Amino acid sequence: MAIGHEAPDRPPIVLGVSNATGIKMSTYRALKELLGVDAPDEYLYDWPELGTAAIDEATMRRLHSDVRGVLDLEPVAVRERNRTREPHSDYVDSWGSGAREIRPGEWFPMLHPLAEATTIDEIDAHEWPDMNDPSRVAHVAAQAERLADDDEYAIIATPWLLFPLERAFAMQGMDTFLMNLVLYPEFAEALLWKIQAVCKQLMGHFLEALGPNVDIIKIGDDLGTQESLLMSPDMYRQVLKPIHADWIEFIKARTAAKLLFHTDGDVFPLIDDFVDMGIDILNPIQTSAGEMSNLEALRDRYGAKMVFCGAIDTQRILPHGTPTEIRAEVRRVVDILGRDGGYMVSSVHTVMNDVPAENVLAMVDAVVEGPR
Amino acid sequence: MEATALEDVLDSLYDAVVAGDSEAAVAHTTAALEAGAAPLSVLFDSMIPALEEVGSLFESNQIFLPEMLVAARAMQAGMELVRPRLADESAARIGTFVMGTVAGDIHDIGKNLCNVMLEGAGFEVFDLGVNVPAAEFVAAITEHRPDAVGISAFLTTTMPELVTTIDAITAAGLRDDIVIVVGGAPVDQAYADRIGADGYAPNAVSTVRTVKALIGVS
Repeated sequence: MAIGHEAPDRPPIVLGVSNATGIKMSTYRALKELLGVDAPDEYLYDWPELGTAAIDEATMRRLHSDVRGVLDLEPVAVRERNRTREPHSDYVDSWGSGAREIRPGEWFPMLHPLAEATTIDEIDAHEWPDMNDPSRVAHVAAQAERLADDDEYAIIATPWLLFPLERAFAMQGMDTFLMNLVLYPEFAEALLWKIQAVCKQLMGHFLEALGPNVDIIKIGDDLGTQESLLMSPDMYRQVLKPIHADWIEFIKARTAAKLLFHTDGDVFPLIDDFVDMGIDILNPIQTSAGEMSNLEALRDRYGAKMVFCGAIDTQRILPHGTPTEIRAEVRRVVDILGRDGGYMVSSVHTVMNDVPAENVLAMVDAVVEGPR
Repeated sequence: MEATALEDVLDSLYDAVVAGDSEAAVAHTTAALEAGAAPLSVLFDSMIPALEEVGSLFESNQIFLPEMLVAARAMQAGMELVRPRLADESAARIGTFVMGTVAGDIHDIGKNLCNVMLEGAGFEVFDLGVNVPAAEFVAAITEHRPDAVGISAFLTTTMPELVTTIDAITAAGLRDDIVIVVGGAPVDQAYADRIGADGYAPNAVSTVRTVKALIGVS
């Protein structure tokens, strides 16, 4: 298939399986209704506040999704604490970061336990999550083995947010951490490495449980904005790239799976760095952001070096386009990125609740039908 | 203080803002004011040019969000000292601005940068914060009678609140008194046109340009 760079009869479809390739609950409900599927409302990571659907098998088949997911879970005690807490009160995860309900059913990640921290002592003093809790990955081995035995779909594994920069944002707040990269660079770097050390513990257990039964490991860090990069290329290469390189090396030493790196926004100037570090699949190719709209340049420069996953716009086309417009856009993207087989179709990040169910079907049907 | 010495202080303040050094910005602002510099001069001869430089470096990808944020913070630290002394200097004001992020949305980094750039450009800014219901925009416009209103939405799912907010302002009979500028990651000029906003800005620097052009000040 695409990750081996052989031109398939149609590009694979990556839907469901992770937050960034997932579908929010309202759109999922509309899809079930449209399809006449009777399945319960379940959430990825068993986490209602995230709001992203765990899509049932019948719907996954109708969406022609060629992947199935394996996820981790928060420790059972944390899940139980959140499940039994006062309704509408703050959700707090095992890292101490959390979300607040700002309108009924809408949760925003706005609780940052290290918001004030600027010193290494404060990093040391924080109560970091116990990544050795067996309930995080107890289900993983059996689930992955079953999927591998079925041998129908590629298996994508996405432990939740083992992303050093984004976890630092969760711990401090995005603007605070970005400023600390300038104001307290030693602290900021130490925080990133500390986060990564904690992430490695969980990833180690997770990969061990997966064994050979996994095709793609999904990690990432958002490095782009709507217009350009979140930080300068120099700062990226000095501070974050060594961390990402170390992270990728850690994972590749423990699995033969391909590595998918998720990074939003216009990250075009960093793609050589991504190739350097051994990233196999780049996601989500945010075509609405700056240079990432230039799919020909992306393919010509990097198409032989990596696979692209994503590129179906969620800012305009999917929510506001007609099914006919969506089919045309999918054909356009497949024609460009899929030419040499190095493309996996997916939405640019989560299909939000503003996307009509018909539009999701138009996206996948355009892939399956091929050029007409 | 000698005139040249004062110029040196204002130059140092300029450098402190560009470098994002809040402590130095406070120290040089204090020194300039103590030496008898007019608050307007501190603003127009140092802070505003510094912020314009920062904006230009940002737009040309010579600096990025981290450096921009610390520069804005340094500017704010200096402004805290200058602002009280500007109260009776209405010449410093080129307009009044009401700003907020729509209901259901808590994104504020871009909005906050706009606030600093607008204040640096001479606007009096009333920031309503995030998750602001349309009725609060209407109440703030009624109270502050601004020249311009900025409405921000960061998510495709909260963009419809831009319409709700503009409709509420229109229904309250306030629409013709103000210019409305919209922004946020998924917003673009076509969307702004479609929902009847007067202007759109993709970032903090262009917000200042857009608003100034719309209200007719240079």
